[in-house]
Amino acid sequence: MDPKLERILLNVQKPARYTGGEYNAIIKDKKDVDTRFAFCFPDTYEIGMSNLGMRILYGVMNGMDGVWCERCFAPWGDMEEEMRKAELPLWALESGDPIGTFDFIGFSLGYEMAYTNVLNMLDLAHVPLRAGQRGENDPIVVAGGTCAYNGEPLADFIDIFSLGEGEDVTVEMIELYRTCRKQGLGRREYLRRAAQIPGLYVPSLYKVTYNEDGTIAAITPEEGVPAVVTKRIVQDLDKSYYPVKTIIPSTEIVHDRVMLEVFRGCIRGCRFCQAGYCYRPVRPKSPEVLIRQGIESCRESGYQEMTLSSLSTSDYRPLEQLCDGLLDYCESRNINLSVPSLRADNFSMALQQRLQKARKSSITFAPEAGTQRLRDTINKNVTEAELLQSCRTVFEGGGNAVKLYFMLGLPTETDEDVAGIADLAQKVYLCWKEHASHKARGVRITVSTSFFVPKPFTPFQWESQITMEEYRRRVNLLRSKITNKSIIYNWHDPDTSYIEAVLARGDRRVGKALEEVWRRGGRMDAWSEYFDFQRWMDSFAAAGIDPDFYALRERSYEEVLPWSMISVGVRQSYLWRERQQAYKSVITPDCRVQCMGCGANKLVCDGQCDALLPISARNKQ
Amino acid sequence: MAKMHQHRIRYEKTGRGIYISHLDTMAMFQRAFLRAGIDIWQTEGFNRHTYVSIALPLSLGCSSLCEVLEFDLESEIALDQVPEKLNAVLPEGIRVLECYESVSQFKLLRTLDWTITMEYDNGIPAALDESFRAMLAQESYVVRKKSNKSKKGFTEVDIIPMVFSWEMKPEGETTVNLSCNLAAQNPSLNPQVLMDAFTQFAPACKPDFIRYCRKEIYLENGEKFR
Repeated sequence: MDPKLERILLNVQKPARYTGGEYNAIIKDKKDVDTRFAFCFPDTYEIGMSNLGMRILYGVMNGMDGVWCERCFAPWGDMEEEMRKAELPLWALESGDPIGTFDFIGFSLGYEMAYTNVLNMLDLAHVPLRAGQRGENDPIVVAGGTCAYNGEPLADFIDIFSLGEGEDVTVEMIELYRTCRKQGLGRREYLRRAAQIPGLYVPSLYKVTYNEDGTIAAITPEEGVPAVVTKRIVQDLDKSYYPVKTIIPSTEIVHDRVMLEVFRGCIRGCRFCQAGYCYRPVRPKSPEVLIRQGIESCRESGYQEMTLSSLSTSDYRPLEQLCDGLLDYCESRNINLSVPSLRADNFSMALQQRLQKARKSSITFAPEAGTQRLRDTINKNVTEAELLQSCRTVFEGGGNAVKLYFMLGLPTETDEDVAGIADLAQKVYLCWKEHASHKARGVRITVSTSFFVPKPFTPFQWESQITMEEYRRRVNLLRSKITNKSIIYNWHDPDTSYIEAVLARGDRRVGKALEEVWRRGGRMDAWSEYFDFQRWMDSFAAAGIDPDFYALRERSYEEVLPWSMISVGVRQSYLWRERQQAYKSVITPDCRVQCMGCGANKLVCDGQCDALLPISARNKQ
Repeated sequence: MAKMHQHRIRYEKTGRGIYISHLDTMAMFQRAFLRAGIDIWQTEGFNRHTYVSIALPLSLGCSSLCEVLEFDLESEIALDQVPEKLNAVLPEGIRVLECYESVSQFKLLRTLDWTITMEYDNGIPAALDESFRAMLAQESYVVRKKSNKSKKGFTEVDIIPMVFSWEMKPEGETTVNLSCNLAAQNPSLNPQVLMDAFTQFAPACKPDFIRYCRKEIYLENGEKFR
């Protein structure tokens, strides 16, 4: 261990975040390594280690001969202070080596508010902040994850964006790098060639010009560079790498359990949901494969908790078969299986009862909107009757807590919709009064509202966000409507969501403001103890950026959006049609009822979206 | 807990392992037993979990060659196979030395041997040994010690009766090893409290960095605790 690090570790909280050495962390002999990759997560260890994507790519890269992928997380403020004092550059957990000397630095971008950490980590690594300032000896800085679909605010700082699922493209990107190095080709030539790999977007090869009104005039690729970069997907999830043998942190993390991903994509098409469109098409894993991987993961990890993960687990067709298979193993070993993301509409009572052996006193729903009209508008096809039926089941079973999540500021929302949230909560209360098996304990109904942020690649990508004042007014309206003492109302502050809205649909000019925020001390902005709204507003002003232009402005269909050169497989015309349906409050059936032709099925090699089984499993039958 | 559980392991905590906290160490062992396929007793009741108990909590950042963890084996396994099985699934810095049937109750544990390594970047102070001797020659030396139980946030303890023996040996130009035997429980003297007291007593002897390592644990009669 670096003696400088040893001397500061005990001055900071939770030093185990910074030391590595966990069970299953990969240590390679540097003699056998020619390419080193620092997988950076721009948030704390506890958050980053809970990310399944990071664990997958860590395993994929370390499965390559001669490649060593190591981890790196954003230091908390106390550690950053000590590092800067001791002049200790950011290190990788496995080797303890400074990551500024690595071949690649890769960031996982899951949340816009982590962008300042990206800049801060580059600075702590002593890597030039801007891609244009980096030389032949500097690492190639890459970024992937959900935010990479519109990474434009970071375009000046990132060499390559990797779009979509990284299992295959990461390997191709690294292999090209090794080839180029062997041939003595430099950084610029590597980037040009990388841009030819499907799914890799090299922002420096695209020129953005602007109209006088500030909108984008054109996004022009350099000659020979693809005009549109389409995201990558894994074709066969049964055959793709799943980290059965994965790092077991020696300190508690947020999701400290086995995470079993049952399928990717979502059939639902909720119109506000970025993941619902970006992760298309739906591709399941076979229950046999999942049961085997789940059992092996428990054995390998020693975890006594397992959770199924997906965007909407009740839509996994063989869910019962899967749960039966897993429970056969889990029940006798006191392993707790949890199945979140179950929908209120096809809430399986038998399954829930089997899962909830102990303490299932609370249930969480996200109706998102208070009235059926608005739920139809956003295509969240949950009816009040279904929700109340599910609540009744919980109350009859002795449960006494319900959490309800909503968004305020959804397109077309009226005061009636806001009041509808209070009405719905009251109906849940009345349902409890009528059906509770243990009334003496009382009931706790928690209503939470967040502030809607329009996101790229959704039907609402052209929408304006409502103003913060208007959001606060709606919060106060809702507060005034909730009079029942058993109903608790929590609401998010709008400040963060407003900044999130600017960054989510920002163009590359926003990068200047981002750098300014960081220079003024901004980091860990996803954490309320660090987030400083005024610092963001001052920085926008200093950079000559009008944040309202990005957050509040409604775009036309003709406008060139900053992410126009990216494709997630879903056609723009489809999203626009969905937007029109939203305004008519017309629901779109889920993909199983009827294929609406969004275009994402073209990403699958045989064109079969949401097939019953992955390709390899189908061929076997 | 009144019941004495039947089996123990003695293990080392060194290197990167010293930054794993007491609670995290217990959770880590609970999982490690399951990973190793060693069937151990689980607590009864609502939230069943594998039962492990550590004899004396070790402060974060201290290393140790003599940690003792107690549990109950549920199925037959040769005790001499346990270290190997566990060591294959433990994080860096944690190494099981032996597994055996419990001998003495935890409460009989009385003293601990520590090695305290003091680093002086600008050379060892000439008066170091003498100052330490002078501190311990006092009739009593009451210092404040952080306490979560006390309303004031600290308690006062006299450290003199809790230092049973000590010896200082320089190692090279900048390092001194202080070997000492200290009270382990009821009451206990944390070596960090001892060193805080010393640097208060002799500020000129304040080291630039201190390492702590537990070496051995003993019963009242001076026999090794097992």
